[in-house]
Amino acid sequence: MAAAGRCPSCGSAALVEDAHYAQQQLVCAACGCVLAEGLLTTTYAEEEHLREVAYSQSTGQKEQLSRCLQRGIRRVQDLCKVLQLPRVFEETAVSYFQRALQHPSFHLVSLEKKELLGGCCVFVTCRQHNWPMTMGTICSLLYAKQELFASVYLSLQKELGLSVPALSLADLVKTHLNSFRLFQHASDVPAPFVEDKDKMIARTMQIVELASETWLVTGRHPVPIVTAAAFLSWQSLQPAARLTCTLGRFCKLAGVDLPPPAHLRLKELLEILLRMASQLAWLRVFNVDKKTVVKHIGDLLQNRIFLLKNAFCLEDREEQCAAALREDSPGEGSPGSPLTTGGAAQEEGCPSEGKRQREGSPRPLLPPCLINPRKRLRTAAPSASDSAITGDEPISDSEIEQYLRGPEEIRAFRKAKAWP
Amino acid sequence: SQFKDDLLTSPQLFPPMSPYDVDLPIQATEDVLFGSQFNQPKELPTDFSSVDLSFLPDITQYNKEQNRSEDGRETQKELDGSVSRNEDSGIFMDGSSSSCPDTTQPSPEASGVCPPLTPMTPMTPVTPASESSGIVPQLQNIVSTVNLACKLDLKNIALHARNAEYNPKRFAAVIMRIREPRTTALIFSSGKMVCTGAKSEEQSRLAARKYARVVQKLGFPAKFLDFKIQNMVGSCDVRFPIRLEGLVLTHQQFSSYEPELFPGLIYRMVKPRIVLLIFVSGKVVLTGAKERSEIYEAFENIYPILKGFKKAS
Repeated sequence: MAAAGRCPSCGSAALVEDAHYAQQQLVCAACGCVLAEGLLTTTYAEEEHLREVAYSQSTGQKEQLSRCLQRGIRRVQDLCKVLQLPRVFEETAVSYFQRALQHPSFHLVSLEKKELLGGCCVFVTCRQHNWPMTMGTICSLLYAKQELFASVYLSLQKELGLSVPALSLADLVKTHLNSFRLFQHASDVPAPFVEDKDKMIARTMQIVELASETWLVTGRHPVPIVTAAAFLSWQSLQPAARLTCTLGRFCKLAGVDLPPPAHLRLKELLEILLRMASQLAWLRVFNVDKKTVVKHIGDLLQNRIFLLKNAFCLEDREEQCAAALREDSPGEGSPGSPLTTGGAAQEEGCPSEGKRQREGSPRPLLPPCLINPRKRLRTAAPSASDSAITGDEPISDSEIEQYLRGPEEIRAFRKAKAWP
Repeated sequence: SQFKDDLLTSPQLFPPMSPYDVDLPIQATEDVLFGSQFNQPKELPTDFSSVDLSFLPDITQYNKEQNRSEDGRETQKELDGSVSRNEDSGIFMDGSSSSCPDTTQPSPEASGVCPPLTPMTPMTPVTPASESSGIVPQLQNIVSTVNLACKLDLKNIALHARNAEYNPKRFAAVIMRIREPRTTALIFSSGKMVCTGAKSEEQSRLAARKYARVVQKLGFPAKFLDFKIQNMVGSCDVRFPIRLEGLVLTHQQFSSYEPELFPGLIYRMVKPRIVLLIFVSGKVVLTGAKERSEIYEAFENIYPILKGFKKAS
């Protein structure tokens, strides 16, 4: 077929495609001038227009990936660069993203969700490498709603069958405290408020560990706990100057957000510390309250194992007593030895129980939701009449008729609502 | 004797009873009733030498000292099932059945008197070595569907029924409620209906029938086809706090614990296929069951795991 165009040398329009051996050439029929030869083309469209095909286009590398996927991969890579993650993370996150996008449940979701999907892949990668990353951080980077992020994350975890290890609090402490502004002198930060970073990190970790042992961490959002622990550790390092500073002011000076639950976590931590203080011999002389206990946090943390054991009746002692009592009831068959040791434990456990009960009535070491149970409507156990229902009982007409409107009622409704 | 031989040669009376077997036909309502009435046989004959049970799987794992009430309940279930099947196959022909008049409710005294019943006790599903929990999850919600098999005019229904609400802009179904059993139904114009809120399978069925009757009385030729329980939710309390962080470490492939999102641990059990929500307070919610037995089984599976996290720290 003659291609559109004219011969550059003679201006004739009679251009012919001819083959010189196996090489295609475009030749002017009038003067024999060769216009084009030996073009590598990939598509018929290209051959018709006799244009060269660019390398990246001819390899089809990008054509295999949809534009959406390409954009998503770029976003994931950008996110990794902003968070300054190692190179390995980027590759892993991109591969998760590609896998996820091919999955039927993510293939057709909205673009907003696809962007969150990229964020989730980065988040999962971080957690799998024990890089402390909170969802809050990713959400703020993506300007995402937390509920939407949560749903995308959970479905990603389920569909790809990813196992995501739990967030390590110790690492979170380090990265969270990195964003605090109290470690250098600044114009708006009073001199006595500046603190040494390593000391603060070490003490905050200890307080967070204490919170974890006393059931303040399980089931709760980790960041408010770290914030409250950081505040207490900061106060305790120089109590004289810092006791008057409130949690809100501390967060403002440090340049971090104050999460609302932090006040409650602070209260709970102080309660734990007060109980521990009541067991420390030289502190019983002072009347420590929740303001002054901060001064002694150093001592309390140093002796925390001993103090925890004495301040709270650990439930395993209770359990031993209860279990021994249960096993004493007529059992049979099993040899006597587990019973006798259980019995012995009962004897040694319970008298000390009694002693502890007398002094300061230690409370059991339980999560706060069990210590202060909210009054909840307890569903009644199924009554005998309920259990006797077979599902095939006869249904009386009168019972059904109570649910139907009478004619006057219908008329009144029609009039009132102008029923369509 | 001839009686025992019959038991041995009819293996269909002894379904494999590993703890993870879901095929046991359970008589649902009777569990609850008999569980509370069942008295512990104070002594079980430990001599099984005269009975050859080698054809049964898992018999080596069986712990002969089954004297806890929860296992007794399992025994009871199996006894009911086996006894009724026995009666069907006519095995209880000789006079031995008359010496145990209460074949459905063995009392402590009767255990020695009824030799044909004792070989069935090894068939209780055993949680090997450790005791069963003694806790029964309570059913909280049943979701069922039924096909009324006729096209429905939802506006008409909403006008003529007192207990109906219909807001087509928000949702394309009528929401109807009845007081007894206290449930809610979603009725679609295709004639399909979803019934939620019942506390037992029978209640759900009764409620669904009542809704169908309401629709019938409104003038539609409603039928009651393909009633099916789609989901059952149960809950219970193990009565000790649980270290969720520890549980997610050891059971990573089944657990999802994200305190940033949700205070509970989501445990996806494979067999039976149940999702459990486990909270630090020791409360457990089980969902995703199509049958009551799956909830009980899932709880019995999770209880020893949870007990392992009781004395941590």
